[in-house]
Amino acid sequence: MNHLESALYWSSLSFEIVLCGFVFTRKVQRILPLFAAYTCVPLTCAISLWLTYEYFGFTSPIAGYAYWGSVVLTSAARSLAIAELCRYGLRAYRGIWALVWRVLTALSIFLIVHVAVDAWGQPNGVAIYGVTLDRDLALVSIVILAVLLLFRNYYGVALEPLQRAIAAGICFICAVDVIGDTILRNVYTGYLFSWFLTSQKAFWPALRPQVERVNDIWSAVHLSCFMISMGIWCYALRKPVPAPSERPVLLPAEVYRELSPTINLRLSTFNNRLVDLLKP
Amino acid sequence: MNELSIVILLAIALTGVLLWLLVPRHKSSRMAAPSFPSNVNDALPSAKHYGYFPQIRQALSAADARYLRETAPPHVARQALQERRAVARHFLKGLHEDFSNLARLGRIIAAHSPEVSREQETERLILSLKFQLLYSLVWLRLSAGNLPLEQLEHLTGLVGRLATRMDAAMAEISALSAGQLPRGLQS
Repeated sequence: MNHLESALYWSSLSFEIVLCGFVFTRKVQRILPLFAAYTCVPLTCAISLWLTYEYFGFTSPIAGYAYWGSVVLTSAARSLAIAELCRYGLRAYRGIWALVWRVLTALSIFLIVHVAVDAWGQPNGVAIYGVTLDRDLALVSIVILAVLLLFRNYYGVALEPLQRAIAAGICFICAVDVIGDTILRNVYTGYLFSWFLTSQKAFWPALRPQVERVNDIWSAVHLSCFMISMGIWCYALRKPVPAPSERPVLLPAEVYRELSPTINLRLSTFNNRLVDLLKP
Repeated sequence: MNELSIVILLAIALTGVLLWLLVPRHKSSRMAAPSFPSNVNDALPSAKHYGYFPQIRQALSAADARYLRETAPPHVARQALQERRAVARHFLKGLHEDFSNLARLGRIIAAHSPEVSREQETERLILSLKFQLLYSLVWLRLSAGNLPLEQLEHLTGLVGRLATRMDAAMAEISALSAGQLPRGLQS
């Protein structure tokens, strides 16, 4: 590791420790256990990676596998934290939750199948595979969060401030990952593609400085942005977490059964009148 | 445009939408639940703009316009007609607000219902989207000056009748939910 990488590594590790401290001091695990687990994953991965680098060397193939493994593990933990955000607060609204979870599950399955197909079709190389998987999972995370927030806004069920900050942090790091991974993947499958072909081993010594430089730049950008996300979460956790909102009081089922068709019929009539208004 | 640009633009657009959705719409940070207001009558999204239609109709009457054209200097008449169109647009905006409030009532009822119908919710969503489109077209035609102002009267009458029916609907909700809503939520 060079000086920049070391500085970033240790500062992000410090951030992760501070974040975990905030999470467990504020007892976030009681209301959002999967998010609490997600905050521990990067810390665990960072320590595991450090041990791997110490034992096998920073440029060893095992270090590379360990790095991409930690990236995929972090993405998986993030996905679970997003699933928890989807469930949080909405579950009390039984009617719309039954609708929302089906839509989100169907969308997630569709997008994850797309991720698998996209990653499967990549040229040989763990790095290209890992970058594609990470990019697609980050994109899926943004889409799912956007759909969830659309639903919540539509039905007027706003997120609480802590959950909003968590969503903003996840959204920021996912957006950076999508953009960075797309550029990185383009570089890997473009002029650095020889690096992944054993038939072109002769070029590897010449390519090594370029590959390392590209990886250094991406690591620096990713770690810096991840620290910003952690900063957003730490800021949200600076005060004690308020008690969860009271469960809403639901109306009798017949209110919806009787009124909803009537309202829709009236809205439809209104639209018909607007259409009439537009006729020449 | 290559894949790189498409994915980057898509990520930026989605992030923009997401951050926009994350901006709190309420002053209170603890507005997590779309609770019914303390009084059911307050919960009723009253259609208030249609009530002003008689005054608007008088101000925008064809007779007034004819009188203006015949008696006022051309530039004064033109300016007055432009202002009349602006008033009509404001009025149309008010009707839009009335419609949105009525649609919001449907969503609040759905949010507070233990079971909802997928078909009903999809239909309401489509109707709302269709309304937005039609409203934009009417607004454009009104701005362009080729929509007779008199036609607004029909629209207004409809909103008025809707509001009356919603009054009855809310009374029905109150009756149905009597004893099941917390004391503070009952009228």
